[in-house]
Amino acid sequence: MSLLTLQNVSRRFGALTALNNISLTVEPGELRAVIGPNGAGKTTLFNLISGFFPPSDGSIMFDGEPIMAVNPAILVKKGIIRTFQITEIFLDLTVYENIRVAVEVAMGISLRPWINAATRAKVNARVEELMEIVKISHKADRVAGEMSHGDQRVVEVGIALSRHPKLLLLDEPTAGMGDEETNHMTDLIRSLNKTQNITILFIEHDMNIVFGVADRITVLDNGTMLAEGTAKEIADNPRVQAAYLGQAA
Amino acid sequence: MVILFNAFNGLIQGAFYALMAVGLSLILGLNGVINFAHGGFMAMAAYFAYTLIPYVGFWGALLIAPILAGAVGYVVEQLIVRRLYLRDPLYSLLATFGLALIIQDLLRTIWGAQGVPLTIPDFLNQPLSDVYFFITGYRLFVVALAIISTIGLFAILRFTRLGIRIRAGNSDLETIAAVGVNIYLLRSANFVLGIMFAGLAGILAAGQIGLTPTMGDELIMPSFVAIVVGGVGSLLGSLVGGLIIGVASGVTAAVYPAATEVIIYVIMGIMLVARPRGLFGQEGLLE
Amino acid sequence: MSSQATEIKHDAAPLQKPAFQQRYAFICLAVALLTVPVWLPLLGGYTDLASRVLIFALAAMGLNLLLGFTGGLSFGHAAYFGLGAYGTGLMLANYTHSTLLAVAVGTMIGGLAATLLGPIAVRRRGIYFSMITIAIGQMFYFIAVRWNSFTGGEDGLTGFSRQPIHMPGFTISLHTTSFYYLVLVCFAVGSWILWTILNSPLGHVFVAIRENQKRLTFLGIRVDVYIAVSFAISGFVVALAGSLDALLDNFTSPDNLKYTLSGNLLIICVLGGMRNFWGPLVGAFIFVLVQDYISSITQNWMTVIGLVFVLSVIFFPLGAMGFFRRRSRS
Repeated sequence: MSLLTLQNVSRRFGALTALNNISLTVEPGELRAVIGPNGAGKTTLFNLISGFFPPSDGSIMFDGEPIMAVNPAILVKKGIIRTFQITEIFLDLTVYENIRVAVEVAMGISLRPWINAATRAKVNARVEELMEIVKISHKADRVAGEMSHGDQRVVEVGIALSRHPKLLLLDEPTAGMGDEETNHMTDLIRSLNKTQNITILFIEHDMNIVFGVADRITVLDNGTMLAEGTAKEIADNPRVQAAYLGQAA
Repeated sequence: MVILFNAFNGLIQGAFYALMAVGLSLILGLNGVINFAHGGFMAMAAYFAYTLIPYVGFWGALLIAPILAGAVGYVVEQLIVRRLYLRDPLYSLLATFGLALIIQDLLRTIWGAQGVPLTIPDFLNQPLSDVYFFITGYRLFVVALAIISTIGLFAILRFTRLGIRIRAGNSDLETIAAVGVNIYLLRSANFVLGIMFAGLAGILAAGQIGLTPTMGDELIMPSFVAIVVGGVGSLLGSLVGGLIIGVASGVTAAVYPAATEVIIYVIMGIMLVARPRGLFGQEGLLE
Repeated sequence: MSSQATEIKHDAAPLQKPAFQQRYAFICLAVALLTVPVWLPLLGGYTDLASRVLIFALAAMGLNLLLGFTGGLSFGHAAYFGLGAYGTGLMLANYTHSTLLAVAVGTMIGGLAATLLGPIAVRRRGIYFSMITIAIGQMFYFIAVRWNSFTGGEDGLTGFSRQPIHMPGFTISLHTTSFYYLVLVCFAVGSWILWTILNSPLGHVFVAIRENQKRLTFLGIRVDVYIAVSFAISGFVVALAGSLDALLDNFTSPDNLKYTLSGNLLIICVLGGMRNFWGPLVGAFIFVLVQDYISSITQNWMTVIGLVFVLSVIFFPLGAMGFFRRRSRS
């Protein structure tokens, strides 16, 4: 069974059609990139999948269930977690504290006004584990707001992982990063997918990353689906070359 | 008859609330400040009028006193309020709260804690009809002036360059700053305009209920409620909200006097539960 | 980016400093508070003044859970303070001779009011939230003024006084000094509860709400529920303080319900430092002493207090404890 299926999905804002008749499937374990010029509807697609707003037409199925009218909080519990184009973390807290609050929420203990040693140890272990996974342990005590943009993105991914995502949506994970940071993030995305078996859908502008990392690529243009396929198929697709890659090069 | 009498009384009261609320709302919208000192400025203008009347008469005072209060407001905005625009709302709230204390204390020191009457022209004091004895010229005048000045404000906002910028700034301050409008100047002008409305309310109220240094205290809370009921961000809402709670508390005073003040908070509570954005409010503004 | 591998110490809550320094400061504080009746008179103070400092500190710390740690600007917490005071006063005046029962009832009344009204206020955020809290608070003020027969109206509630506490085997008379210790015990219990909450998962969420509500929403949390919980807890603590305040003066009045008091509690938080756990204690110390002194030397004390508000907001927004604000060790 496919993890995520969109069928004939459209989204209109007044007279503007942001997405028109999109159908796509994401298989479990897939690492999928969504590319397209600005205004192609990529973020709108993410907003629909993560429940930010419902589609105007069409159906979205996740794990075999329709999720068109489900609010974000419930979708999070079902396993759809996203990051944002603008990093959303807790700036005045340390890296450790950022991930800790996410872990406590994920463990369902966030309404408890006290904590015993055993639970604290469990939380601690999980936070350590997540910091290991995203490779930020050595900066655990740094205040997030005083770190580089790249590190903040990594923290955000760590927060997202706390909820055991089945589907992780990353909105431009490497935007605004330097080379070293970009490499780190690229490695991270790859390892999350291969070693943690998390299905990932990510929006990206950097073609090197897209073609180097993604199993499959979906190309959007002007709210419609232009093409879908492996990196090679996309690179060879004349329509993609004309509409998108040609102008980007 | 009693109900009618009280409803009309409430309408007068509501006109004061509305004038206060419109000024507060104006400042809340563009300056992003809950002006706790609004009641203080209101009383200040009333005392200015009280002092001016022997020299320039009621009409002169009605014109000059709000301008003087506006001038004080300008100084305060320059010295204090503008430093706080970029900070958490907590700070402007506390600063204007402190200002309210200072103004009240100064008014008491200068003019005394005892209430004094404000002399209004004789012809306005006459009841207009024997049956409806409570409808004096002054009361009609208050309602009329409240409505006219609010319409005037709407006209300013709709048709003048300043007004159009204030409205634009209300919806998107960053954008109008980007197109070259001096938003600091705009905010100053807006603050002064709001204070002048408070001043007008103060003088009118003083003609009705007399002057005390704490007169603003009694009017500022209902004005907050008027804004919440009418909907934050909507001047029309503030006007209507003020009139509604005024009439409601007037009528309640006839039916069940003990609940005269409490009724307006009950109305607010019901509004918040049933329609959190208020009568004319927009979703998500200032949040 | 050169980041040396620092020794990781993960217990750091947003309000903790290195353990050694912190323990030292805490012991000093505890000793100072325990010996107030000994040293305060030597400095020309009186013990009731210290009780008042602690009462306001407790109230401000309760408010600060919502204000400084959850990011909710309530300008109406005087209502819960006053309800605590009236609850306790009315109990002692009409129904009981047990001081402790009266305190418990007062605290419950104020706290439950906050629990019920918080959910209405959290329907809106930001500046609008503040306005609603102010208005809700004023409602109780007018009830107290109008319900003359029960509350004593504008003149305030008299006709009660704190009663000796009878324990099996002994009796505590609650004269000035022993009342101070009762206040100190309540203060200690209140701050312990707040401390525990701030170091719990619930407290971690509160701080996270202050930092970024959107992130939490997309972790699957109903933020408004948590703000309401913070509102309620802070209401209970403030109500306890109000209840003690009624006992301190054997009197309470509508002034204890008025927004002016809410403003005072807020400025206490700001003066001391909102982001610091003990900030409100420092703020209360400064504020109560200044108020006490100024009102004894000039009629125009309101102007002075007003200036304290304006100047501290403009020049010391981080408060006295703001200097100790944590910096990363990088």
